[in-house]
Amino acid sequence: MLENFVLEKDHLLPLLRKLGRQYRLVAPVRNRHGDTLFTEIHDLDRVEIDLEHQPQSSLKPFFFPQVEVLSMYGLDHDTSSGATWYSFYPQLPENRPTVYFGVRSCDMMAVMYTDMIFLQSSEYDVYYARHRENAIFITIGCNQPFSNCFCNATRSGPFLEHGFDIQLTDIGDRFFVETGRARGVQLRRQWAYFFRDATEDDRRAQFQAALEARGLFNRLVHVDLVTRILARQEEPEAIFAELSARCQDCGGCAYICPTCTCFTIHDQALDEDRGERLRTWDACTFSGFTRMAGGHNPVDPDRQRVRKRFLHKLLHDVEHHGRTSCMGCGRCVDMCFGGVDILRFIEMVSENETEHEETP
Amino acid sequence: MILDPSRYVAPGMAGPQGSKPVRGNIYLPVPAQVREVHRENDLVTTFVLEFDDPLVNQEFSFEPGQFMMVSMPHCGEAPISFSSPPGRGGGFALTVRRAGRLTSAMHRLRPGDTIGVRGPYGRPFPMTELAGSSLLFVAGGIGLAPLRSVIDFCLDHRSDYGEITLLYGCRTPADICFADDLERWSRAGVRCLCTVDEADDSWSGRVGLVTELLQDVQVEADSWRALVCGPGIMIHFVLSRLLEMGLPRDHLFTTLERHMKCGVGICGHCFLEEKLICREGPVFSLAELDDTRNL
Repeated sequence: MLENFVLEKDHLLPLLRKLGRQYRLVAPVRNRHGDTLFTEIHDLDRVEIDLEHQPQSSLKPFFFPQVEVLSMYGLDHDTSSGATWYSFYPQLPENRPTVYFGVRSCDMMAVMYTDMIFLQSSEYDVYYARHRENAIFITIGCNQPFSNCFCNATRSGPFLEHGFDIQLTDIGDRFFVETGRARGVQLRRQWAYFFRDATEDDRRAQFQAALEARGLFNRLVHVDLVTRILARQEEPEAIFAELSARCQDCGGCAYICPTCTCFTIHDQALDEDRGERLRTWDACTFSGFTRMAGGHNPVDPDRQRVRKRFLHKLLHDVEHHGRTSCMGCGRCVDMCFGGVDILRFIEMVSENETEHEETP
Repeated sequence: MILDPSRYVAPGMAGPQGSKPVRGNIYLPVPAQVREVHRENDLVTTFVLEFDDPLVNQEFSFEPGQFMMVSMPHCGEAPISFSSPPGRGGGFALTVRRAGRLTSAMHRLRPGDTIGVRGPYGRPFPMTELAGSSLLFVAGGIGLAPLRSVIDFCLDHRSDYGEITLLYGCRTPADICFADDLERWSRAGVRCLCTVDEADDSWSGRVGLVTELLQDVQVEADSWRALVCGPGIMIHFVLSRLLEMGLPRDHLFTTLERHMKCGVGICGHCFLEEKLICREGPVFSLAELDDTRNL
């Protein structure tokens, strides 16, 4: 059940200090280079929590690290028979209760998507699960969407209706507080003295902020239209080819994307008889992603490099899971120096459609 | 919609839907020992394997068409299809063509060596659905390996299946795999027709593409099913020809090959349009494939 409270802004730091004693605390922190990144906080008085800028990173690396050891392996040789034994020793990550503070709606929705990929398929990914268990999310709605945001078009923001433990809305000198999942309810009860019950005025202020936010998006993005166009099976081959030619094979879009979960598994030898089996982020835009031993590649990198990425997010996941796996965070727009971001693709496909409609 | 709160279960949450049983580590290979090594030709070798742990051996079962993820030291993993039938006890066989680093390392294995395996994975051939039908197998090169598992399964359950015909094509006579099996199958009443693209002095048999062998077989749409495996381009032409011969799409089956990393539908590598081949395949009926031009 959703219950509503108010947290005065000057109560925020004291609350976080309290939480920091019991949990690992992760929040968007502005560093001296001017980057705002989700960062583990060791001393709240020595960092600047930044709720003004969009965090450049999502929470993905906390649950699905860019490089992770899955297991160690070793070889033992039997000198008499000459035979070799080959054994694996799993390396499970530690599982630390963590509060993620200042999470935006798009990133929370992305966590729910990656939960589904790693935990709710027929196979259960124990590495992801260890990172993900014991996580508490304190999200914050976006009163003012950032410049490349289009979560309104992907229905993943700017405010959440579910998924959070606690959702904050900035209503001037205070935060409006909604408790969602059980851990949020429990957390609010445990530190009840930081909160007060919301009044009708507070509710009205929250409603006003949430409504106004919807009108503040810079970008008009036709996500649903493009999903419908792609579902018609008239493939926009020319657009795929044009954007594929501009892709520089850097993988930045996939790395920065909160819902890109593709990975590779490879071995790193430590010496002749020992090594680590690693899982590393991968990207379907890389030429080697689908290339098989022997050299055959079912994807033509020159013309189709970006095809799977856009079809997966805008069509295949709609077919499989009922919604796009693009959460509208817009990070890939700033990341891609070739302009091969999902917004560009959506714009090209929808413009193409409009031109067709105009031609008699 | 799956991100609907009523269907969404956060990990580690208590409650009837939320409680997760303790589960194994899907990425952890199990040691298996090489018991036999059979060289099929210069590039292809069959390994008969058995788990180190006798309990695992006892409990392990698989179905024709499934595959294992094989680990070799310092080489990572690769998916390899079973080439032996299930239910015979005494381990399982994998047949491997030397193509990259991992498969080259496998070709240096000797009996007694240990490799890592996990699986079985993937959707198998629908052996129950195929019961009662006559079966036409069409294989190219090492594509015979997964079909060998099916053919031997059918011979182990001979009364369940009708006539069995195998059309086998290889690039040259030196590329032929399972020569002993071809003879054994012929003796067991399987009609085996072989062809090579390029003959040499040792070859007195047919020369030409495997599709040409289709002229020599009569298949009835109702009672026959076809199972095809080989290079993508061969699969495309054979399936097209079988359609022309009147077999309906849902009577045609193939098994596809892709680069894979996890084998369980997470890593994303083995996509074919919206499908993941490791989980939804590798066996497909043609009714499930829209386009076979780029397999």
